[in-house]
Amino acid sequence: MLVLLPQAIVDGILLGGIYLTVSMGFSLAYGVLHVIDFAVGDWIMLGAFAGLTFTQWFHLDPLLSLPVIFVIFAAIGWMLQPSLQHVLSGSRGRPVLMALVFTFGLALAFRGSALTVFGIFTHSLNTVLSQGSWHFSRGSFFLTIPVIRLAGLVYALAVMVGLTYLLKKTDFGLAIRAVAQNKEAAGLMGVNIKKTNAAVYGLYVGISAMTGVFIGAIVSLNAGMGPDLALFAFFVVVLAGMGYLAGVPWASFLLGLVQSFFLIYLNPSYVLLALFTILYVILLISPTGLFRRGV
Amino acid sequence: MRRKNWWAAGLCILALGAMLVPATGMAADEFKIGVITSLSGDLATGGSVTKRGYDLWAKAVNAQGGIEISGKKYSVRLIYGDDQSQPAQAASAAERLAAQEKVDAVLGPYASGTTLSAAPVLEKYKIPMITGSAESPLIWKQKFRYTFGTIPPVNFTGSAVIKVLAALPNGPKTAVIYGSNDTFSKATAEAFKATAEQVGIKVLEFNILPPKQDMTPLMSKAKVLNPDLVGFGGHDEELVNLVKVLTQINFTPKALLMHYGVTEPAFIQALGKNANQVLGASVWTNSIQTKGALGWPTAKAYYDVAAAEYPKDPPDYTQAASSAAGLVFQAALSQLATAPPLDEAARTKLVDILEKLDLQTFYGRVKFATEGDYYHSNAGLTPLMIQITDGKEMVAAPADSAQTKLVYPMTPWDKR
Repeated sequence: MLVLLPQAIVDGILLGGIYLTVSMGFSLAYGVLHVIDFAVGDWIMLGAFAGLTFTQWFHLDPLLSLPVIFVIFAAIGWMLQPSLQHVLSGSRGRPVLMALVFTFGLALAFRGSALTVFGIFTHSLNTVLSQGSWHFSRGSFFLTIPVIRLAGLVYALAVMVGLTYLLKKTDFGLAIRAVAQNKEAAGLMGVNIKKTNAAVYGLYVGISAMTGVFIGAIVSLNAGMGPDLALFAFFVVVLAGMGYLAGVPWASFLLGLVQSFFLIYLNPSYVLLALFTILYVILLISPTGLFRRGV
Repeated sequence: MRRKNWWAAGLCILALGAMLVPATGMAADEFKIGVITSLSGDLATGGSVTKRGYDLWAKAVNAQGGIEISGKKYSVRLIYGDDQSQPAQAASAAERLAAQEKVDAVLGPYASGTTLSAAPVLEKYKIPMITGSAESPLIWKQKFRYTFGTIPPVNFTGSAVIKVLAALPNGPKTAVIYGSNDTFSKATAEAFKATAEQVGIKVLEFNILPPKQDMTPLMSKAKVLNPDLVGFGGHDEELVNLVKVLTQINFTPKALLMHYGVTEPAFIQALGKNANQVLGASVWTNSIQTKGALGWPTAKAYYDVAAAEYPKDPPDYTQAASSAAGLVFQAALSQLATAPPLDEAARTKLVDILEKLDLQTFYGRVKFATEGDYYHSNAGLTPLMIQITDGKEMVAAPADSAQTKLVYPMTPWDKR
């Protein structure tokens, strides 16, 4: 089945694109705020439902909702972050655990609310890009690329480029990196820590919500989709090295490619076993992730 | 301080005493029927279907005063246990309903995995359970004496639909079959595979996948293999995802057969025109010609009542089977003619009655098998092949119940 090789690679990369959309905000949040946000999957879920609501109210293509959803959710994240900070500030003891509990609680609250408001059924976001696919063939070489998945990959890469530009080339990005490196010193240098943290969390939530729209379009959405997405986000971020944003694309694509090859060439039943074995072995050799740049 | 402590202690003892009173086995005015189903978790969609079915029955039987035993009418009270879509929780819910609530009977879970774990607990306490939903043949292979099902196992239903396809003039010759790794979905996929091989359809690929696995690479491979039939066993989210993958890579098999979830309005709503011509299996629709000796007189009558009560969720075959499970208990308890609460001897006698019961309902005939592979499941029903037509669930086979002509092969996605 060598004829399937190019397709396997492309499918793997596109799958990796989906994982990238899920993990990039999460990695940013961890890197700067040192918060493992259990609610990452549920922020994505809320974004997906926001996209669904937007479509139902305005009868417009869900992709047009992206800027609106980003702004709304970034604002929600910005407003929520001080509460998270208060939990993290340690006045109750065990700040790291308390942050985990807080975000876990958020996740449960979001899931329960979504179940109540939207019900238990699975929905799908239909966009103008949903059904197209690009088909190439020459001789025995062929390739089919679903347009919506390609759009997801393009979105993910665009966000990564945007984040990299923000972090490396702007003053605000400099402030973020300073806070990530050493919070106290950054404060002494005149960085407004509270505002920076709130902005980063807002950015993370906004990105995750936009991701929700893509996931709803590429796959499907329902109130219970959060935990599975969070699992993959953790997987990717741990593999990349926790806090190392530049490693996230590599880890995502590795995850996607391993799955794709296993599904096509080996026994699909064992794909999860293969993934976790690889994670295990890589962490055994390099506990701080693929590039040894994690915390 | 001292006085407050005495008061608190006194109140506690009083409260404890009050709690102990119902457990002393005094005569009751009602039958306590436990319900174990998935009210939360991954399978909450299906769990709520069974809940609606059981609730409708309880409401109907209580509207006429209850079940009549020796001239006195006893109402029915449903006591819920949420299995949270997990077998371990199902067992613990069964334990609680049996030991603490002391129910007379149990209406069973939506899922096969949860049924399999609740059944041994109820076997221990000798409490009869009828499930309106679980379809895995594994349940009946275990031959639990106290567990029954109004729904036949999936290898009974699934094999019938494959045979319909095989009998078509230019029917499918090759197939790719996958199943999600949970009890029901695995049984569905295995039933499809076994029957396909039996009727001479070559199964090119078969595997059981981790739940909610992205199937794009698998379907890319299927596109190259080009099978006539793609079969899949899974739950609602996975079914929607599979159709989306097929439309995204633009591969239209001649027939796409999936089981359960296809008949849900949400499936059709999510996929729009891409849901059309998808095939599924069922044992009941609201248009089949049945006559109920007890309860709702016809399938349509049940549908009308159910749709009025739950306008957003029209009933499917699982909800119908769940209401039918209630009717079976109603008939059996009347025949038992023993007032609640039922002791162990009465419950064992109830099981004997259930085994001999042959009841016509709006759902169809209920007659539990008493031996063989389908032990205690309802092998008296005729499976129906469903095809989604113009956004509606329609019966395509067998001929005497058909509402629409079976469309084979499917129209390619990009030509719709």
